[in-house]
Amino acid sequence: MDRKLKNSIFKMLIWAAACVAIGILVFLITVLFYKGFQSISVDFLISESKNFGSEGGVFYQIIGSVLLTLCAAIISFPLSLGFAIYKSEYVKNKYLQNFTDTIIYSLNGIPSIIFGIFGLILFVNFFNTGVSWFVGGIILAIMILPTVILSSYQSINSIPNSYRENALSLGLTKWQVIKTVIFPRAISGGFTGLLLGLARAIGETAPIMFIATAFSGVTFPNGLFEPVSSLPTHILSLAQQATNPDALENAWGSSLVLILLVFSFSISAFVRRLQYSKLKY
Amino acid sequence: METAQKIIENISENKIHQHYISISNLNVSFGSQHILKNISLNFQKNKVNCIVGPSGGGKSTLLRSINRINNDDYNLIINGSILFNNEEILIKNKDLTKLRKEIGMVFQSPCVFPKSIKENVLFGIENHSKLSQAEKDSIVEENLKAASLWDEVSTRLNESAKSLSIGQQQRLCIARTLAVKPKILLMDEPTSSLDPISTEAIEVLMNRLKAEYTIILVTHNISQAKRIADELYFICEGELIESGSKDVLFSNPKKEQTRTYLFNGTCNC
Repeated sequence: MDRKLKNSIFKMLIWAAACVAIGILVFLITVLFYKGFQSISVDFLISESKNFGSEGGVFYQIIGSVLLTLCAAIISFPLSLGFAIYKSEYVKNKYLQNFTDTIIYSLNGIPSIIFGIFGLILFVNFFNTGVSWFVGGIILAIMILPTVILSSYQSINSIPNSYRENALSLGLTKWQVIKTVIFPRAISGGFTGLLLGLARAIGETAPIMFIATAFSGVTFPNGLFEPVSSLPTHILSLAQQATNPDALENAWGSSLVLILLVFSFSISAFVRRLQYSKLKY
Repeated sequence: METAQKIIENISENKIHQHYISISNLNVSFGSQHILKNISLNFQKNKVNCIVGPSGGGKSTLLRSINRINNDDYNLIINGSILFNNEEILIKNKDLTKLRKEIGMVFQSPCVFPKSIKENVLFGIENHSKLSQAEKDSIVEENLKAASLWDEVSTRLNESAKSLSIGQQQRLCIARTLAVKPKILLMDEPTSSLDPISTEAIEVLMNRLKAEYTIILVTHNISQAKRIADELYFICEGELIESGSKDVLFSNPKKEQTRTYLFNGTCNC
């Protein structure tokens, strides 16, 4: 076959693949926005849900989702930074490096329902916490650990070794080097990872549906060990009432709110990445 | 008997020359790779002690052993003795922070932190002691002057250090090292990434600094050694071939290898 022909066929195939992928995404988002905007209003955002969600709004679902993700962020961020700094600054042994890599990637590969079951058995049943948003936050934190760890590790690892050596040669202790040279970079990289992780966490249903959320009748939690309501589980329960057109309409509205929350995390992560790519070492 | 006599002489000599470095039987390996073989030499106080030799010969390894910046290197095996001020550097529980405050180091390519010029000068010293604003200002001025950089940057101390030219960045690194008040300056090919004008500026600077500091300079640039060295140490394939004052080595080297290297720039070790 002619080389030029081969080239153009290959080019066409790649274009087709890209168009199909983008097309599906655009279709999904268009439908979501079209259907969602019909049922969304200020009232929908600030009123509580009634009649198992088929009437009213999603105010407490938004509160619940935000609470869960905030909790996950507060727990996972320091843990991930610590792990990333340990991995890059203290682990010199090649085998231990590979071992930590394996752990991180395995953790990343665990299906989210497994996290849910783990939380149910360990916290809800064994520690007898009951259904609790705090436990949900812990489980989501564990789930996004790999994303945040890898992102902070990569940004620490990209600091040339000469910076460490220069700081050490000025008589700084290892802790001072970490504090002044490593930490600022780790935080910026970790924060990007955190936003990406949270974008995933906020949309998760499986890990939290048994351990952190109740489907209806939930308002502000009064303590650590109380259930909340969340957007993804709310959508799940609405989808189960699909024969009711009101419930379905609210499901579209909730989905749009959820997607907008996810977008806000992803876009802030993207903006941060742009900003920090300018900060060169 | 004779060796005992020698040791006593060495010790008494060390006492006379303070902040003076004496290396004996130094062996350094990385895993199975034997880099430095039985190095024994003395560095002279307030002189430019210049280590020359072909690339890969172990010059930098020697320098990096003196402030033990290679301490965390994987697979490093180091034996022998390095005395600084009559104190052994190579003991296990040596206070490396204190050691590195006394033995400063300037690296091959300048490495400024993504901070302002002023913050870069203060980077080391600020971590050692609490400083008032007035003290900070005077330290910045004093050390930038000492590094011959003050006139060029005095009006833009708060600008990013990355905005300086490479040659200026290297002098900033020297100022940063001087601010910690070391007694010895280790310089690992400090001009190899610089243009001729910056190189000359740093050579002039070294000549001036040796009144106050002992300089140990690594270079593979023979003409640079000829210009600024007082003492010369020729290291090739991990061994000290010959050492002595520059004039002697350049006019009348004892070893054939030294002559070949210094005059032809090639190495036949």
